[in-house]
Amino acid sequence: MLATLSIKLFIREIRSGYLTSMLLSLVLAVTIVSGISLFTDRLEKVLSSETKEFLGGDLKFESNEDAIKDSLKILNLDKSKTSEMAVFASVIFSEEEMQLSSIKAVDNSYPLIGELELQNKSGTYKTKQNPDQGTLWIDERLKNLLSLEYGDNIYLGDATFVLAASIIYEPDRGSTNFAFAPKTIMNISDLAATNIIQPGSRVEYNYLFTGSEEEISLIRETLEENKNQGDDIESLSSDSSALGRTIDRSENFFLLGGLIAVLLSACTIGISSQRFARRHISYVAILKTLGMNQFQIRGLYLLLFFYTTLLTLFLGLSFGWVLQSNFISLMDSYFPTELPPPSFYPLLITCLTVLICQFGFIYPHISKLLDISPMRVLKNDITFNQNTLPIFIMGLFAFLFLLYVYTNQIALSLIIFTGVIFFSFIGIGSIYLLLGKKKLGLGAQDAVSLALSELRRRKLSNSFQIFAFTVAIGLSLITFSASKNLLGSWQDSIPDNSPNNFAINITKEDKDSMELFLYEKEIEINLFYPVANAQILRKNNEENIIDRNFNITWLEDLPEQNEVVKGIWFQNDTKNGISISDEISERYDLNLNDEVIIQMEDGSLETYIQSIRAVDWESFSPNFFVIGHPSLFEERSSTYITSFYIPKSKQKVAAELMREFRTVSVFSVEELIKQVRDIVNQVTKALNSILLLTCLSALFLAFSALQDGFDQRRHQSAILRTLGATGKLVKTSSLIEFSILGVVSGLLGSMIAHTGVYFIETKVFQTIPGFYPEIWVMGPIIGIVIVSGLCLYLVNGLMKQSPKELLSQ
Amino acid sequence: MILITKNLRKEVPSGETNLVILDDINFSLEEGKSLAITGPSGSGKSTLLGLLAGLDTATSGEILLDGIKINLLNEEERAILRKDKVGFVFQSFELLPSLTALENVMLPSELKSENDPQQRGEYFLDRVGLTDRKNHYPNQLSGGEQQRVAIARAFACSAKILFADEPTGNLDPRNGKLVSDLLFEVNSETDNALVIVTHDQDLASQCDKKIELKLGKIVD
Repeated sequence: MLATLSIKLFIREIRSGYLTSMLLSLVLAVTIVSGISLFTDRLEKVLSSETKEFLGGDLKFESNEDAIKDSLKILNLDKSKTSEMAVFASVIFSEEEMQLSSIKAVDNSYPLIGELELQNKSGTYKTKQNPDQGTLWIDERLKNLLSLEYGDNIYLGDATFVLAASIIYEPDRGSTNFAFAPKTIMNISDLAATNIIQPGSRVEYNYLFTGSEEEISLIRETLEENKNQGDDIESLSSDSSALGRTIDRSENFFLLGGLIAVLLSACTIGISSQRFARRHISYVAILKTLGMNQFQIRGLYLLLFFYTTLLTLFLGLSFGWVLQSNFISLMDSYFPTELPPPSFYPLLITCLTVLICQFGFIYPHISKLLDISPMRVLKNDITFNQNTLPIFIMGLFAFLFLLYVYTNQIALSLIIFTGVIFFSFIGIGSIYLLLGKKKLGLGAQDAVSLALSELRRRKLSNSFQIFAFTVAIGLSLITFSASKNLLGSWQDSIPDNSPNNFAINITKEDKDSMELFLYEKEIEINLFYPVANAQILRKNNEENIIDRNFNITWLEDLPEQNEVVKGIWFQNDTKNGISISDEISERYDLNLNDEVIIQMEDGSLETYIQSIRAVDWESFSPNFFVIGHPSLFEERSSTYITSFYIPKSKQKVAAELMREFRTVSVFSVEELIKQVRDIVNQVTKALNSILLLTCLSALFLAFSALQDGFDQRRHQSAILRTLGATGKLVKTSSLIEFSILGVVSGLLGSMIAHTGVYFIETKVFQTIPGFYPEIWVMGPIIGIVIVSGLCLYLVNGLMKQSPKELLSQ
Repeated sequence: MILITKNLRKEVPSGETNLVILDDINFSLEEGKSLAITGPSGSGKSTLLGLLAGLDTATSGEILLDGIKINLLNEEERAILRKDKVGFVFQSFELLPSLTALENVMLPSELKSENDPQQRGEYFLDRVGLTDRKNHYPNQLSGGEQQRVAIARAFACSAKILFADEPTGNLDPRNGKLVSDLLFEVNSETDNALVIVTHDQDLASQCDKKIELKLGKIVD
């Protein structure tokens, strides 16, 4: 009987359209949650395998010496899970030419992950092996620069090799610090014969590991215990490539957009449930009069909401799948293979979201509905117990729980939650204070008095509306600002004419002629940075060498994309020292005013750390860990590095430049820029759809909050008009009232947005927080336009009905 | 004449056809006189009252209220006419729940921007015997008391004609009698015309004139 009745009730509710706003909000929430979580889940999977390949393994250990071998022996590792390589820069020769190359000497386990794509006389082929002894694989570019053919001899140090193949693709392409020069891969067994590696040579020893999570974590622990200063451990989670960061940030934005849209939908669901319960008072009273007990009525409504959940999940998951398919199709050109299928996590988080919404925002209203007395059938004015505080508190808890589920950070959840509550209470409190006590009468003499009187009288319901509008405006502004900030930072980092070529090893003698060469070719000349290789020693503890060489430059002005975070930049009237990046400061525990000795090829000098900088490594311009003041380094020998933009129409200039200046290495980042740009463009489209969905959720929330308020005003409007109030009076007073609510909510929304954006920038995107004056303008304007616009729509709806029709509803 | 109707007809759409609610309604009422509209449920009494008071529009025909053809007015003009010339008492009282008894009675004076709505409100509340309940909200008053507040509000309008839709319909006989007596008593003091829709034959018999509706037509 209960099942039949519940199905009938469900169908009736759907047909009547009264469930529409609740259903739409739930479907929207499920669509967004499932769409985004399905997409990010699949994206994470593919990124994880790509990052693994990019890194060359699950874990990588970098050291300037091969001393770690002994510690690794203790671990008794299976050889097949470890790969060792030595990476260094050296000049290689053909019979006629020579070129600087980044050499990678690899063992028999190489590559641990993925496979290499090579080309030889017979064409392209893939392999999972290292080069045979006595053979080399080199970049196609290097082959051309050295005018080599497959099978020709190549000379590296004291050894002679045969060119076996050219490299089209290598899995661990992002793994070395010498990647600026064209790549050469050799067998590590041949290394000794070259006699290149001598004591003091600058070599980086890389150890790559793959294995189960437990094994990797054991290896990591051992490496952490045995590592020396300057050694570095990289794992899958620390993909710091420009592309990895781009995708990582956009993924964060997707999740943030999803969270915001869900929070907005949750508030809408709460308001819709309140309306639903109010409408069902008489129904429950009649059922009780007819003999249904509390248990049966509860069962009836639980069944009703069970059907709603099923319908919501069906529709939401279907739309969510379509949404993620669209996102995937936007980006599929980037991914070489088909994306892996999703895990169960998206389904789990979607169901959990629906469950939290049901129990936090719907069930409390239904539970209250069950308390209604059957006397309501006889006395129409019997309604709920007016105390809505427990329901509100339950909703707030659900709000907090949702925040936690999506952020997984209790501190961040509490910050957002407290922020929303704090600013809402500030706004509500100020409304109470500004409006003062209510005056006698409705103030129906004119529109302004009526509006102010309504604001005074409806303080409680207005408070809920302000809360809803504030949440809607604040969260939408956060999404908007975050997306603008995100896209802005991407666009700033890759301006249209950003340098697509870097030239290094430019000698002092070549510098002027190269400038002239570029000038004649009409290529814009950027700064030529002097570069020298140096070691930094602590002055008071010379034994404690910072075991790493740095490329030092010296210049007077702070480069763009650099920000001094501690100390001061070079000034004319002080004794200037050096500026180091915050990474170096953290990694080697170097602090402001520490005295250091800088050891260079042509002598050493003593100085101090004058400032610490935050460097934007994503920018496509030369960046340096260490920058000194020119007064310290003027007389030092150096080479130069510069970057320049070669337009497509002048592609030959790079080859001409390399021919003209033999010792200069030119390498192109055109492909990387193009790849990042492409992905940014695609991600932008996806971001815009998230923004659109968030705004739609906000609009739903604002509309539901207004609609709820208008239910209560419908009766008043009918009586006022019956007694002779003109439509103009009712309309104008409503507009004034809701414009005030809109402005207040807009200002509060701006406050929330500004605070939210600050935390998102510093905690989520880890960028430098900015000040966004547009938020303060947009908030109140959006508040007025949206709230009064929706109000006008609803008032016009009321005005279309005659007072008699309204009174009979 | 304060009220004249000529060939009044009201139709509402019902499926593919139109349902005739009122047809060929012709009558008139002199100033200061009272009229009872009676008839069984569904005969169109309340619809007629709505048309006469300018709350709804007729499909065809003419209504002259104090010489003004209200069928030619738009909703805004009808609202002004209601404010200036019409008072109402409803079966379900239709008080604003967020206003006290006094504030409900003050409402018409506020809408007319009169000088001292409070004084006028207090006078009429006193007239219906509810001075001590002036600060009570509708849900704190009994049905009879709520209807007395509604009567005070109707007379506070300084209307030329007062429309009452089943004013005793929701009240027990004792309260019903109290309210109907009060209605006629206060009306006699103000010289308003009074139009009452009612099932109550006793109440109808107190009116100067009576029309009976059956299936939307006046029964002779």
